[in-house]
Amino acid sequence: MAAAVAACRLVTALSRGLGTGAGSNFPGRVSLRIEPRATRLLAGGLEHGCIVVSGTNGKTTTANMLAGILRQAGFAPVHNRAGANLISGITAALAQSSNLRGRPAGDIGLFEVDEATLPKALERLHPHLIIITNLFRDQLDRYGELESLGRKMSAGIARMSPDTELLLNADDPLVATLGEAGGLEKIYFYGIEYEGYGTMALEHASDSTHCRVCGALLDYSVVYFGHMGKYTCANCGAGRPIPDFAATRLEIEGMDRTEVAMQSPFGSLKLEVKIPGLYNVHNALAAASGALLLGIEAEAIHTGLAGYATAFGRAERIQAEGREIFLVLSKNPAGFNEVIRTIGSQGGDGLRLVIALNDLIADGRDVSWIWDVDFEDLAVRADRVVATGLRAPDMALRMKYAGMPADRIELERDLERALARGIAMTPTGETLFALTTYTATLALRRVMQRKGYVSHFWKEKADA
Amino acid sequence: MLETAVAETSAAAETGAMAEMTLRICHLYPELMNIYGDRGNIIALRKRCEWRGLELEVTGLSIGREVDPDAYDFYFIGGGQDREQILVASDLVNMKGAALRQAAAEGAGFLGICGGYQLLGKYFLTYTGETLPGIGIFDAWTEGAEKRFIGNMVIEWEPAAGGKQTLVGFENHSGHTYLGPDMKPLGRVIKGFGNNGEDGTEGCCAGNAIGTYLHGSLLPKNPRLADEIILAALKRRYGMDSLPPLDDTLEERAHEAAVRRT
Repeated sequence: MAAAVAACRLVTALSRGLGTGAGSNFPGRVSLRIEPRATRLLAGGLEHGCIVVSGTNGKTTTANMLAGILRQAGFAPVHNRAGANLISGITAALAQSSNLRGRPAGDIGLFEVDEATLPKALERLHPHLIIITNLFRDQLDRYGELESLGRKMSAGIARMSPDTELLLNADDPLVATLGEAGGLEKIYFYGIEYEGYGTMALEHASDSTHCRVCGALLDYSVVYFGHMGKYTCANCGAGRPIPDFAATRLEIEGMDRTEVAMQSPFGSLKLEVKIPGLYNVHNALAAASGALLLGIEAEAIHTGLAGYATAFGRAERIQAEGREIFLVLSKNPAGFNEVIRTIGSQGGDGLRLVIALNDLIADGRDVSWIWDVDFEDLAVRADRVVATGLRAPDMALRMKYAGMPADRIELERDLERALARGIAMTPTGETLFALTTYTATLALRRVMQRKGYVSHFWKEKADA
Repeated sequence: MLETAVAETSAAAETGAMAEMTLRICHLYPELMNIYGDRGNIIALRKRCEWRGLELEVTGLSIGREVDPDAYDFYFIGGGQDREQILVASDLVNMKGAALRQAAAEGAGFLGICGGYQLLGKYFLTYTGETLPGIGIFDAWTEGAEKRFIGNMVIEWEPAAGGKQTLVGFENHSGHTYLGPDMKPLGRVIKGFGNNGEDGTEGCCAGNAIGTYLHGSLLPKNPRLADEIILAALKRRYGMDSLPPLDDTLEERAHEAAVRRT
């Protein structure tokens, strides 16, 4: 074990020193090569066990919010915060925080886990709390169809011991049924009860709109985004579970602040969420519910959440050349539509945008999903768009067919030049919106590091 | 180098004569059969008609609705996940099959993508041995297999106007499709798997009906095929034999970028 931990630390230090990356995955692979049981052995040394967060969207934000609350409550979480959410990344996080005898420096594990990796991760980590945020179509070429992904996750959950706590999003019809296969005795639901920010119509990116029991089309009385909402099946009567942890009132104050009134079996509390969008209300709700299940007091939850700094790249405000760059990771139709809705309703008209579309394996090799995004809603509010990334022409074409005049669409494959162009077309003091797929976010952030707009994220996110 | 897309020519202004014309599309099961941006095909047809001053009416028909075979010039059906495709198959065969076969026989246009393509064939024998009936517009059948064909695909296609072109898109299917002796494939696979990964064929054509595994979305990045579909419908309804050209600079660049990254 000592060799595995030492090797991991050495490789991490080398990789950071050479500036080749944040040292998130490779060191974990080295440890596992030396000691294949490393994940299980290291996780077993955590005094308060492990928590796992999985789902398509929001797992990084939810896990980071929960980490802030845990620290506020006096825990020392071991946390894979760089979004490295496969077994190798989890192992690296464990090994990097352990001494050479394999004893972790933290006392509780908090891991965001890739949804396809969930069964494997559950087997190794034996978490006492599992949180599932939502399931959307994302990289079907990698994960397969949503149905079969749900079945695999459900089977993995069913193998856990009956006293494992499972916290599910009631507003997602597929996620809400993930606990039904096994003998788990402690299944809880969180959800939004307040309907003031919902709509009546489903978006094109709605995936799980059929009853899991009988297959009939679900009736929605309110839709929050994607297929999140309040639903029932008129055919067989199955429906949304009543949330144990519920947002009973929301007050969205611009892009900067949302106030949430929350009811729970542990009493009522107020949450303050400092990043925009209804999807972040779900994330905050999941983090707060998880914290309540761990026995954390309302005050620590409120303070921990209010002090939450954005997860890497997932909605950052960056100052550059006298402008503000609003950088948002936008990686699948549901996430993109929510981002468009948020900046559309809060950012006004005459928007200036850089949209970066990459098609590397981590983004998904297939880019057809951009046709499922409602870019039409963005086109009417956009003044100019720079389409960039490895599939820049696809993105430019999508904006043309969304209704933007072709002379307001610029095509610039190179990210650095696209950013410069975006800054140049944005007047001083105004905002440039940068919507970027996963690897494009990493690449654009590297460009911004070189320019001195942001620091290296592993330093920025070091324990504070 | 900074590149700016060329402004659209004011095609609509030059084509005042087309303003009186209306094409009517029937979008079958729009909320159930849409995967990998298949609705982008409808967006492409709508815009390419709009830019030419043509009216386009799109009617969505889902489960439980009957089809009037004389009401539409063109029928579109996208792909779906397994569960959706099973839901759709029985409705398609029992509720709409006869009307759709009649429309196809009378020369209406069809485009079926992936699962929609399979349903336009005679049947789908699933990997677990069940038979899912199709409506038999194509003399073609599909057999489920263990291995999925996933990835970007390029095929060689011969447009009605002559010559050879490429079509580009994305495929993801476990069904292997085989064509009967009188069926013509849409094209020949250059890169990817196509109908069955064995005989080098991709898709199927019969009259004005086209079936293909190409998602992507197909029509925005393959504007010549989009225009061939629009022209065939205009020819049948209004006797037109040519279309005013559009500026397809951006379309061609997206096509080329997709071919390069396949």
